[in-house]
Amino acid sequence: MEKSCTLLIHFDKGTPAIANEIKEALEGNDIPAKIDAMKKAVMLLLNGETLPQLFITIVRYVLPSEDHTVQKLLLLYLEIIEKTDLKGRILPEMILICQNLRNNLQHPNEYIRGVTLRFLCRLNETEIIEPLVPSVLQNLEHRHPFIRRNAILAVMSIYKLPQGEQLLVDAPEMIEKVLSTEQDPSAKRNAFLMLFNCAHDRAINYLLTHVDRVSEWGELLQMVVLELIRKVCRTNRGEKGKYIKIIISLLNAPSTAVIYECAGTLVSLSSAPTAIRAAANTYCQLLLSQSDNNVKLIVLDRLNELKSSHRDIMVDLIMDVLRALSSPNLDIQRKTLDIVLELVTPRNINEVVLLLKKEVMKSQSGELEKNGEYRQILIQAIHSCAIKFPEVASTVVHLMMDFLGDSNVASAIDVIVFVREIIETNPKLRVSIITRLLDTFYQIRAAWVCSCALWIIGEYCLSPSEVESGIATIKQCLGELPFYSVSEEAEATDASKKTPQSNSITISSRRPAILADDLFSSLAIFFLAAVVTCTLTKLVLRLEEVQPSKVEVNKATTQALLIFVSMLQLGQSPVLPHPIDNDSCDRIVLCIRLLCNTGDEIRKIWLQSCRQSFVKMLSEKQLQETEELKAKAQVSHAQPDDLIDFYHLKSRKGMSQLELEDEVQDDLKRATGEFVKDADDANKLNRILQLTGFSDPVYAEAYVTVHHYDIVLDITVINRTRETLQNLCLELATMGDLKLVERPQNYTLAPESSKQIKANIKVSSTETGVIFGNIVYETSNVLERTVVVLNDIHIDIMDYISPAVCTDTAFRTMWAEFEWENKVAVNTVIKNEKEFLDHIIKSTNMKCLTAPSALDGECGFLAANLYAKSVFGEDALVNVSIEKQADGKLSGYIRIRSKTQGIALSLGDKITLKQKGGS
Amino acid sequence: MLERIGTFFAFEFSTNRSPESEEDTEYKLDRDCFLVTKMKLKILQGPCFVFLNDLLFAPLPSVNFICTSIAIVVEILSSMVVLAASIVSKSGKVLLSRQFVDMTRIRVEGLLAAFPKLVGTGKQHTYVETENVRYVYQPIEALYLLLVTNKQSNILEDLETLRLLSKLVTEYSYSLDEEGIGKTAFELIFAFDEVICLGHKENVTVAQVKQYCEMESHEEKLHKLVLQSKINETKDVMKRKASEIDKSKIDKNRSEKGGFMSMGSGRIETSFSELSISSSGSGFGSGSGFGGITTDLDAFSTKPKGRQPSAATAPSKGFGMQLGKSQKTNQFLESLKAEGELIVEDLQPKVGQSRVAATPPTDPITLTAEEKLNVTLKRDGGISNFDVQGTLSLQILNQEDGLIQVQIETGGNPGILFKTHPNMNKELFSNENILGLKDPNRPFPTGPAGDAAGVGLLKWRMQSADESMVPLSINCWPSVSGNETYVSIEYEASAMFDLRNVVISVPLPALREAPNVRQIDGEWRYDPRNSILEWSILLIDNSNRSGSMEFVVPPADSSVFFPISVRFSATSLYSDLKVVNIIPLRGGATPKFSQRTNLSTENYQVV
Repeated sequence: MEKSCTLLIHFDKGTPAIANEIKEALEGNDIPAKIDAMKKAVMLLLNGETLPQLFITIVRYVLPSEDHTVQKLLLLYLEIIEKTDLKGRILPEMILICQNLRNNLQHPNEYIRGVTLRFLCRLNETEIIEPLVPSVLQNLEHRHPFIRRNAILAVMSIYKLPQGEQLLVDAPEMIEKVLSTEQDPSAKRNAFLMLFNCAHDRAINYLLTHVDRVSEWGELLQMVVLELIRKVCRTNRGEKGKYIKIIISLLNAPSTAVIYECAGTLVSLSSAPTAIRAAANTYCQLLLSQSDNNVKLIVLDRLNELKSSHRDIMVDLIMDVLRALSSPNLDIQRKTLDIVLELVTPRNINEVVLLLKKEVMKSQSGELEKNGEYRQILIQAIHSCAIKFPEVASTVVHLMMDFLGDSNVASAIDVIVFVREIIETNPKLRVSIITRLLDTFYQIRAAWVCSCALWIIGEYCLSPSEVESGIATIKQCLGELPFYSVSEEAEATDASKKTPQSNSITISSRRPAILADDLFSSLAIFFLAAVVTCTLTKLVLRLEEVQPSKVEVNKATTQALLIFVSMLQLGQSPVLPHPIDNDSCDRIVLCIRLLCNTGDEIRKIWLQSCRQSFVKMLSEKQLQETEELKAKAQVSHAQPDDLIDFYHLKSRKGMSQLELEDEVQDDLKRATGEFVKDADDANKLNRILQLTGFSDPVYAEAYVTVHHYDIVLDITVINRTRETLQNLCLELATMGDLKLVERPQNYTLAPESSKQIKANIKVSSTETGVIFGNIVYETSNVLERTVVVLNDIHIDIMDYISPAVCTDTAFRTMWAEFEWENKVAVNTVIKNEKEFLDHIIKSTNMKCLTAPSALDGECGFLAANLYAKSVFGEDALVNVSIEKQADGKLSGYIRIRSKTQGIALSLGDKITLKQKGGS
Repeated sequence: MLERIGTFFAFEFSTNRSPESEEDTEYKLDRDCFLVTKMKLKILQGPCFVFLNDLLFAPLPSVNFICTSIAIVVEILSSMVVLAASIVSKSGKVLLSRQFVDMTRIRVEGLLAAFPKLVGTGKQHTYVETENVRYVYQPIEALYLLLVTNKQSNILEDLETLRLLSKLVTEYSYSLDEEGIGKTAFELIFAFDEVICLGHKENVTVAQVKQYCEMESHEEKLHKLVLQSKINETKDVMKRKASEIDKSKIDKNRSEKGGFMSMGSGRIETSFSELSISSSGSGFGSGSGFGGITTDLDAFSTKPKGRQPSAATAPSKGFGMQLGKSQKTNQFLESLKAEGELIVEDLQPKVGQSRVAATPPTDPITLTAEEKLNVTLKRDGGISNFDVQGTLSLQILNQEDGLIQVQIETGGNPGILFKTHPNMNKELFSNENILGLKDPNRPFPTGPAGDAAGVGLLKWRMQSADESMVPLSINCWPSVSGNETYVSIEYEASAMFDLRNVVISVPLPALREAPNVRQIDGEWRYDPRNSILEWSILLIDNSNRSGSMEFVVPPADSSVFFPISVRFSATSLYSDLKVVNIIPLRGGATPKFSQRTNLSTENYQVV
């Protein structure tokens, strides 16, 4: 068992205190100097020095000191010094401090007694404690509550020691007596805690005899009561009936902490709807009454848990949960909406949507900077509601369309995507949406929104009147023709200064929105122009189908062609800073050709295939969602080492989640790092590293265990010679973000004997680290030290990263933000793109964010995004872009981006090493 | 870990375990418990049954039990705790950290090193959760003050703790940066210790923490004063003695009588020993006589103020107020029951049932008639003492109901002598059996709910040597046969009463294991600590006026099994006293009243 660490203080190595100085100051009579020296001594000890010579000085000169601060520091010193030898036996000199501790326990100053008792709580050595027990017990009846409080805790800690029950045979009785007369709330709590931990039948007995008064007890005591109830019910499930009443009475306690705990306890004990409802109500109350964001978020977490286990009950509380939206914090709002969205049912959908609509309106009026973002998540929420319950779509879609011109581009995009989906899935709404869209089209500001809106117009204007008004609206928005005339060019060449102005007028006449939007470069303007062309083409083609009058059709065709040509002309004019890109140009030209020369084949592609592929996309999206749901549902199956419930033996009704309770138990262990997953023995052997050769005088091998924040090296050292090796020392050095925790120690190794040495290495970021080392030793006949150099130990980055998921937008933002990029050229024997991608995913332990459907098919190229997170919370982004060459080989690049250099480098190395594949 | 689990096992299986093997078992359990949790599944397959059997020394009653025992073999520790309170600079340097739970250094440093990486900027909440822990933090200028807790920890409580700690940090550290914290690190650690004890929050204020850390003790000053005065006194005594010696020397020189001398020197010796005690005590730390003085001082300091133990079981105030709430609670419980939850409404603890305080009255007027039995029966039959003491007490909740008289009816038992309270109208009682105050204008004192006993109105006493009056006679026959002693006990209850909660406690010789009970009417329980066999019968009525038990123990003297003590209660009385009516002196309707009768044993033994 490793020593536990009770105290950490930052120590500046710049000012090393010399042991001699400390010693002198301790021996002197100057109290401030003594205090200072004690502090230094403690800091040196914390810093890894052992200072064995100081102990006697302290016993002689510090123990008798009457100063309180010195005494307190002395206790800290005693707390951290090594009190046992290597074999775990107590050091003989420790007996010297017993007398001092006993005097302190009988000290007239109540605080000295108190802190000494508290020190005893941290002491594990029975040999020191044994003579002090009578004094500790005396303090149980002291007049001062400060002493009693600590005395009770000391009794508890002593009783919990391995041989504690022999030291304090009747401790539970004693504490029970104390508890019955105790008035101080803290001491009372401690006494109850002691019974709870050491003799819980007594604690139960006390609780049941005072059951009427539980609600009057102090907050601290009530908390322990709740814990006791949880524990009792866990071990003895039949008895929970007795305690539910107590919990209910505590639900009205004045302390919010107790109420919160009550609700948690109730949930863990019972799954009866009334109990769950009471707990959920309590959480909702806390959610509203507590102003602290932390509390709100954690309460929302609890509600979220309830939602997954007792959805039917939570459904009734949906409106209460929604009230949390009034908080101005975006995280809270988002979490609330997440919970609510999974609780909507046909019964409450109208109410929910009404409230969401109100919130959207509210978000428009406020000046808060976060409002735009809030509006966006609200719109997304309404969107998903409308997808689930198409009947509400009609009530929201018009309201939403008011936000098409929103200055927040992201929310405008969400709206248009929403409209696009609704118009397809809700054919009844098509007419009204189209009319509305054509009316509000001029308000649209963002290019992306605009192109999406154009697509909708192009696809869903079906009747002749709609098609005509569609064409008219677009034309109107484009402005006066021609966009660019030769005369202007002439002027432009005359006065170059005037050109940009006139130019901007032309463009702005085309679409005022585009200038305002500087996010998209002029390139996007022509992209938009191409979209306009396609839309017009589509509309004209449709007009041909629906308009009986050939004259009208021809008129529309010629007008459209004129617009196309004008655009091309503008695009190729020299006044623009960027001429039209080839892609857009090609598309416009294609459209011109098309309109001049139509055919059935083409018509089918333009009028039907687009729509079909959109429908396919929607259905695929839905499929993916249902599949994810299915996957989620499957995850919660039992693990092999889960508790077994013999549910044939008891009624299922009203049974609570044992699993949840076991979680509580493991929680603390995991938090203190006590929880170690036991590894497979076979695997363990695979991870042994040989550090020296078999013919070296010292053979060493290491087993490396990688925990989250530390690496433990278990090193076996074997003396292969027939001589005793003295002062054998394992010196380790590290490269990268690794740090050695302890100083190396010297050992003596008998001939042909072996020794196990443990070394702890601290890791603070994800990076490939290297550990170097030597073994140094002396033999009796050779005076010089002999050195054996060890093999390097490489710490693999793969132990630190795990696959993770993030949204596409988050990925893009991070991709743009992160400054470290490592670009690895593809060099592999693998011939298939998909196979190569799988190989990379497998060897880097990352998650592929690109949907599998997007990777399907044989098209000769492939692009995919991979994502992972390290245990330290760092993100690792990878983009794989590959193309199949004519000779069948794959070429391309793998780009790695991260915030820190370490990840980018080590992941790059890893990929370079592994990408070859084949073997 | 296993000591804690051990307590459970010891409790459950105390009757089945032999003491000397206890240690081995626990050791084995300790070593293997982790495996047990890991291999829950395997345990349920054949061979591990044996393994569990070994652990418990008892055949396993049912599969269900294995489940519970496995559930128990999970660390039982209170789970809501603060692991550490720390101060970290914004650059990630750990300035100080105090741990309240056993953790290795590498773990602490790892947790704290991970923290700055997890803290995001621009968030409006101040906690971060990882897979295993939660950090609750507060930025203070260039620092973070943070609590590391487990994820089940109560966030509301932790935030309060954090607020208190941050006040302490600003209080103790003169500048809120690395340097300031570094200079006051120890003071901060001392202050943190006052706020969190073994991971649990203490209810303290900043002022209290400051007071605790200053350690100004009135008692210490007092102690020093006392010490000083003792020293002074002793010095005085020394001076006096010295002068006496001088005098006696002169006397001795004058007259050559020896008797004086020896007496004088004896006195000197005692005074010197006093002196040595005081002076060594002042030196602290090394004095051997120190203990003597402090206990002296303790006695001195405890006397004047003295701690008042308050009645722990006083019933609560304000019953009318709670009525509404309890109704709501009842509704709640009803609905839970309907949904299949098992609710036990009667929360009487199993042990020490007889000690539970009487349920507080809810009627405006309550009359309680109680009789206490003091009976000593001889083991060979016959009564050596039979004494019944009765009281009738009145409890009135409201002042306005105070003006009343009580009409009673006695059973006419000639052996009973009634005595009224001095304030009672004696004539009224002897003529009409009405209890009223001498002064009819004075109301009866009204007792608050806290005073459970009420006002005593009437006392009575009955003594008898008539064996037929004994409600329960016990016959105990120990007989030695070969290597064993057979003890058969039988009881015989008189038809007068129905006895409830009868417990017959038979002392046993010190045994290694529970006695072998061959036959019993009722239930038995063995209390190994006090070496007592308790035979309990819930109710003795006409169906079981007599009953018997037989058990076997290793050979022992027959006197070991005495005195047998008996506890029981009954609802009818020897006196047959009944309250017939309450007469309101001011006219009006008869107020509502309730009456209780209780016969119980105070000291009922067979010797």
